[in-house]
Amino acid sequence: MIAALLAALVLYSLFAGRLPALWLGIVCLLSGGFLFLLGHHRHDGILVMDLYARRSRLCRENAAFKMAAGGGLLILSICTASPWPPLVLFGFLSAVTVIGGKLEWKSYISLLSLPIIFLLLSSLTLLWDFCQQFPADAAAVLPFPGGWLAVLPESQQRAGLVLARALGAVSCLYFISLSTPMPELLTVLRRIHLPEVMIELMVLIYRYIFILLTTCRQMQEAAASRLGYGRLKNSLRTTGLIYGGLLGHSFQRAGACFDAMESRCYTGQMVFLTRSKPLSVGFALLLVLPFVGMLIWILLTL
Amino acid sequence: MKELLRFENVSYHYHHHDGRQALDHLSVSLKQGERIAVLGSNGAGKSTFFRLANGVFVPSEGTIFLEGLPVGPKEKHRMQLRHKVGLVFQDPDVQLLAGTVEEEISFGPMNLGLSPEEVRRRVENAMESLDLTRYRSRGPQYLSGGEKRRVVIADVLAMEPAIMLLDEPSSNLDPAGRSLLEKTLEQLSREGMTLAIATHDVDFAWRWADRILVFHEGRLERDGAPQEVFADKALLDRCGLEQPLLWQVAQVLGVPALRYPQEFSEIEIVRTLA
Repeated sequence: MIAALLAALVLYSLFAGRLPALWLGIVCLLSGGFLFLLGHHRHDGILVMDLYARRSRLCRENAAFKMAAGGGLLILSICTASPWPPLVLFGFLSAVTVIGGKLEWKSYISLLSLPIIFLLLSSLTLLWDFCQQFPADAAAVLPFPGGWLAVLPESQQRAGLVLARALGAVSCLYFISLSTPMPELLTVLRRIHLPEVMIELMVLIYRYIFILLTTCRQMQEAAASRLGYGRLKNSLRTTGLIYGGLLGHSFQRAGACFDAMESRCYTGQMVFLTRSKPLSVGFALLLVLPFVGMLIWILLTL
Repeated sequence: MKELLRFENVSYHYHHHDGRQALDHLSVSLKQGERIAVLGSNGAGKSTFFRLANGVFVPSEGTIFLEGLPVGPKEKHRMQLRHKVGLVFQDPDVQLLAGTVEEEISFGPMNLGLSPEEVRRRVENAMESLDLTRYRSRGPQYLSGGEKRRVVIADVLAMEPAIMLLDEPSSNLDPAGRSLLEKTLEQLSREGMTLAIATHDVDFAWRWADRILVFHEGRLERDGAPQEVFADKALLDRCGLEQPLLWQVAQVLGVPALRYPQEFSEIEIVRTLA
């Protein structure tokens, strides 16, 4: 709901004065309606993402290549001076993630709704400026105590570019995280010699986020079954108690987990046996071609 | 039988508790190939005993001997204990930490500093004997309770310990999971592994064990054969235990106590024949 309203507002500000009023209305309504119908944000997003990554057909492909390609495309999409290449990349990588990985469009859009809310919020602040004098060339103006809030053409340009770049970057990250399970990412990071401490932290966080979220959900259910969320006052209190309890639980849990690791001769370095996955030519071309295309575009428009 | 592990007057107290000893002057010896059930109510000292035997805890007093040699308090000494004595924790979620079953099982052997080929061999063997090969690339956190239990046993099995300690392995298991677990234990025992299992299930202890340790309030109350332990009604009452169902049935029927229900039919035949 919020995402839908935000999207309509941002698109209105972005295209005000650049599109005829009728088209503007249609674009806003369509995008808002689309997000309203499909963009149900879920709270167990992290768990779901990891599950999708394991189920994805792209999971069979070489993890290092996926990360290199995703990272490379991300850098290129940030470097572009025009909003079109990142937008095309967004469409393309979303298609690869969804069609290539046999994911449902609906779940992909639902996962996207969280970063999109952040993007829309930040582009709102980029779009609307505060002016003390009445801005003559503004595309949209609102009176505000002490002056005017206005959307200026140059901020439309700038916000459009930022939004496009960010969308492209998000699609790169989603491509990596929806096609590569976390353990494989970690193996690659280890191979490129990221400091061991960081990798171990990532392993532990990855592992315990599941435990923490499950514990949290169980505690919430137990509290709900005892009418803990009946009234606003109660639900605030319950939430406080749960987070407090969660901290205690986590400490206890961490101690037990450390004992369990020590009992298997853990001496401070976490290593696992891993298998390497071969790189397939078709998949490599699928990602190298857009990379080269974007690179050429950037070089030509320099 | 070869002695593998011996406790001599071992005591342990938790630092934060009120001076109450979690384990009080324990002397016990575990031999090759034994099937030991460790009984006792909650907080009786079973888990503490296991953690000491595994080298995660250091004794406050007394000495632990591994294959006849005393184990010192230093990390490298306790490492030998961890290597030879495997511990399967009660809650699998505490133990599971890798992203796939295969990696999870490889954690222990990798820590032993073995070559990748040897680690691969051990992981394959452990997966084979616990029927986990088809789960090899699944995430352990997504498995069912019974499957998780098999993974954590495989974790320890891959380290090829001489003794395996299991802390209440049948808790949270459905009946099918339980019977599969029992088969697994049977097989491990046949391969010569020394097994010690902490449990509340007296029926299981009666069926499976050839030796029973009864703990009560941090003390080892009794160390003996199942027949002897379950015949001592006073001991069982004091320690919050019960006689196994089959034992009770046998008493009602006035026949000698049997380990499996099937054996009763043989008695019936003997009776009618007579």
